[in-house]
Amino acid sequence: MRLVPDLAVPHRPFQRAAGRRHGALFSAVALTAAWLAIPVLLGQYEVFIAAQVMIYAVATLGLDIVYGRAGQLSLAHASFFGLGAYTAALSGPLGIPLWVQPELVVLLAIAGGIIVAVPTLRLSGLRLALVTLLFGELFDWAIDHSLALTGGSQGMTVAPMTIGPFNSQGTVDAYLLASIIALGATLLTRQLARSQLGRRMLAVRDSELASASLGVPIVHTKITAFILSAVFAGAAGWVYAYVVGFVSPTTFNLFASVYFLVAVILGGAGRITGAWLGSAYIVLVPEVFNLVGYPNLFPVLGGGVLIAIALFLPGGLVEGAALIRAQLGLHRR
Amino acid sequence: MTALLKLDRVSVRFGGLAAVTDVTMAFSPGSLTGLIGPNGAGKTTLLNAISGFTAITSGHIAMNEIDLSPLSAAERARLGVVRGFQTVRLLERETVFDNVLVGCERLPQPGLLGQLLALPPERRCRARDLAATETTLRDLGLLPIAHRRVDELPFASRRLTEIARLLVVRPTVLLLDEPAAGLDTRDRRALVESIRTYHEAGGLTTIIIEHDIELVRRLCPYSVALDMGRIIASGSPNEVLSEPAVQQAYFGVRSGA
Repeated sequence: MRLVPDLAVPHRPFQRAAGRRHGALFSAVALTAAWLAIPVLLGQYEVFIAAQVMIYAVATLGLDIVYGRAGQLSLAHASFFGLGAYTAALSGPLGIPLWVQPELVVLLAIAGGIIVAVPTLRLSGLRLALVTLLFGELFDWAIDHSLALTGGSQGMTVAPMTIGPFNSQGTVDAYLLASIIALGATLLTRQLARSQLGRRMLAVRDSELASASLGVPIVHTKITAFILSAVFAGAAGWVYAYVVGFVSPTTFNLFASVYFLVAVILGGAGRITGAWLGSAYIVLVPEVFNLVGYPNLFPVLGGGVLIAIALFLPGGLVEGAALIRAQLGLHRR
Repeated sequence: MTALLKLDRVSVRFGGLAAVTDVTMAFSPGSLTGLIGPNGAGKTTLLNAISGFTAITSGHIAMNEIDLSPLSAAERARLGVVRGFQTVRLLERETVFDNVLVGCERLPQPGLLGQLLALPPERRCRARDLAATETTLRDLGLLPIAHRRVDELPFASRRLTEIARLLVVRPTVLLLDEPAAGLDTRDRRALVESIRTYHEAGGLTTIIIEHDIELVRRLCPYSVALDMGRIIASGSPNEVLSEPAVQQAYFGVRSGA
């Protein structure tokens, strides 16, 4: 048919799946090997950092749903992370049994997601960011002003989660716990990307007008995106508190929200691999600066990196890698 | 034949500006109507009113005796009233295939948990959607570029992708706003053929806004001319074009001149 451009290379779109499957198998084997190698080969400190990368990846995947996919800029994301973390932290003093906590975190996150989503439905871009920022500040303020319960800005220690021989603050145990939610979050996001819900989000991000003309329920889609992102962040925060054993407001303030945003943009919005790369960046690079003794240099470098990405790789690292593959002629399309 | 879509004294005003005034029209099932008129005649406003993107000031719009006025654009779309835009709006970073797959929104989809956990209903729906998408892509000749990203495709393919997205679930009423704008002669001819083929397969009620009079002549058995928000002529494209009022509106020619 004439409307289709002539192509130099014949396309066989529906046979591509087989080649992809081999690639996916290879990646799965490589990732499993790396996952096993980390606790075997690396020291306690490195394994602990790897667990943090996985926890932050869950929260970053959450922000990627609402911002990367549905296009709603949220600066309250670290607050949802904090919501989960403080649920874990306060469960000890308040005597909330362990088996109730995951359900509680999910319920609180759903409620939080709705509270942030509903007033912001008609907003977009900068104004949306500002209102979500307000919710973020409100969370900080609430933590700071409930000194007796939360220790305010001093933070509070969190007793480990123990189930039989399992202790969430043991190195390998923490690594396992983080692995479980990271795997769960990644699989859920992957399925989201395959589902109509995921495509709805992309449609809303790219054009609300066109989405409506296709019958996409825009309000419903935005609220769902906020709720899912809040649940991801809440779950990550809950595990974070049990693994790290200490929570304080600085981990969940505006800067933390901005770092999550950096992670999404740097890795590549709307890409699962992107969220993982972004999370590795926001956890590992500050650690490196700490190790060499210049922790304050990270924000400077971070700003520079962000500018470079915005200028040269607007699609983030994942698309950058795809471009390089294409340049080298390794691209199979 | 009873009309599928009825517009009864529809008016749309933007403040002091009367964009559409007292338009009464009826479209029977399976009809293919060309909407013509000079710039600013109110053609797009009328399409917006039917699809729910602009609220009407007075009058009634009904499809199958269902009053469309209280329904949002998305709700009308789910009833089968779908539209294309003058500027193509696609998911820029996704493939042609995924862009058309989005159009399956109008089929019943499983709930949130069903979709996220890939429960059996979700798998059935996905298989159904993939099959519908593949069929539509094949019908419109887009299969060879199904896995190309739309932002790297020429305009004609993007336009066709948009139309495929509207057709993947058979609409009841299809509204197209200058589908041929920006296409060269050969692409226009191919577009006319695809629309005609789809139309002849049955059941589709189509309204097309088009500036290309030749295209309207070739494609539409029936046409309506608007000027200053009012209907000035209707009938076969040749009849409409020979109307003095249409000549006047288009060329500024006085009748008898």
